[in-house]
Amino acid sequence: MRSLGYLIKEGLRNVWVNRTMTIASIAVLMSCLLLTGAAGLFSLNVNRAMGTLEGNNSIRVYVRQDVSSLDALRIGDEIRKLDNVESCEFVSKDEGMDEMRELLGEENASLLDGLEGDDNWLPDSFRISMKDLSQYDETAREIQAIDGVDSIYDYSDLANQLTRIDNIVTRVGLVIVIALSVVSLFIIANTIRVAMLSRRLEISIMKSVGATNGFIRVPFIVEGIVLGLVAGLVSSLLLDFIYYRVIDALGIDMLFRVINIHHYLLPMVLAFMLVGALFGALGGAISIGRFLKREGGAVVGW
Amino acid sequence: MISMRHVSKTYPNGTHALYDVSFQVQKGEFVFVVGSSGAGKSTLLKLITCEEKPDGGELSVNGEDLVAIKRREVPYLRRTLGMVFQDFRLIPTMNVFENVAFAMRIVGASRREIRKRVPYMLGLVDLLDKQKSYPAELSGGEQQRVGLARALVNNPDLILADEPTGNIDPALSFEIVDLLSEINLRGTTVVMVTHEHNLVKHFHKRIVEIHEGRIVADTNGLEANEA
Repeated sequence: MRSLGYLIKEGLRNVWVNRTMTIASIAVLMSCLLLTGAAGLFSLNVNRAMGTLEGNNSIRVYVRQDVSSLDALRIGDEIRKLDNVESCEFVSKDEGMDEMRELLGEENASLLDGLEGDDNWLPDSFRISMKDLSQYDETAREIQAIDGVDSIYDYSDLANQLTRIDNIVTRVGLVIVIALSVVSLFIIANTIRVAMLSRRLEISIMKSVGATNGFIRVPFIVEGIVLGLVAGLVSSLLLDFIYYRVIDALGIDMLFRVINIHHYLLPMVLAFMLVGALFGALGGAISIGRFLKREGGAVVGW
Repeated sequence: MISMRHVSKTYPNGTHALYDVSFQVQKGEFVFVVGSSGAGKSTLLKLITCEEKPDGGELSVNGEDLVAIKRREVPYLRRTLGMVFQDFRLIPTMNVFENVAFAMRIVGASRREIRKRVPYMLGLVDLLDKQKSYPAELSGGEQQRVGLARALVNNPDLILADEPTGNIDPALSFEIVDLLSEINLRGTTVVMVTHEHNLVKHFHKRIVEIHEGRIVADTNGLEANEA
């Protein structure tokens, strides 16, 4: 235990002596963490978007602007009479406005100020779900034929598409992340091997005065952990930065409320650093394990 | 201290290094091991430091049975040994003090112990005034004295020196062996491998001669001189 400080110092020295390889392995580990994080955030946001899109098989029927609320209720009765309609829920223009606020999120809700009450330009509408989606086209035609119905919005298409994209991104992301994990482990292990070879003499002296393998391992595992911590820290901060740049550039936050990762920044940074450190330690352990095994007791080398 | 009975060693590549070697070293002895290169001297050292295992026979060092020893016990055996190398094996980026302190750190010595013990050892090898120097700034003889101080700093029972004078000015070689003798007089057992006959002749010590993997002579120094 006494020598722990010394061993950690030696590990840090490895990092410095080995700069080029260190930077290379940090970069690869960073891209691995970044991609994992990006795929994760994409998926979370898609799920959030779908939640906002009122479920998978509901349809929205808008009433013409000039139809009064009373007439609108009568239209609702007619819709309910159709065979394939399972439920039909009236959404008043005021409720519609509340929904819109919800959709835009706190930051953008002020856009709607002054558009309430009599100035509300939203039409009344119905939220409908069908018994049998295969008869969708026919039922939609029947609804459209009712007097006073303006338009039908079907969110199921969009939802299905989002689900499909999410699945593809998850799958492709997973493959890339696994490949990059293997690559980063390999590169970390090699980086630490270089450190080890440059310290052959020290290791042989350590062996000759009776250092245990555990003791010899520590500085190299420390080196791996330091690489991982740096990669984790930088990549999580970078992810945070890029995330908001992308959202701004695409204007996604106008469509629905994206997940605000600023709120989770600290846990995210810590999680990235933890994962990075685990990878680094593993890479170091693999490397030194192979070295000590291959060289066996012969490290002293008379 | 060292007990070898009918020890043989053949390397996986087929080289027969030692045949049926038996010899004992008692506590407090000073032994020269001589022989031409390839005679099996290095193998002898490898067996004693547990870097290689014997194929057959019995071997014990400091009371530890090296045939049955477990891998994880090897480091603790080595802590009772001090090794001196032909090429000194000093770490070039550390100064003299650090090089000696390094050996103490590895066995978990405290800072206080190190500050007390290292200057004492450097005083013993007469290098106290060079403790801030780096190996490259020292002569071969001085470097080997640092090597000796490092081998001794953890207070081993047995010093194993492999051609310690091999890279040193012949005139200074005697100085190193003098130091080893002095250490021996203080109670540490010394086994020194060498092929410098004039050195061996000058110091009247026990001589074990190896030739082609066999011990061909085991004499005390006086007999050797008479012969």
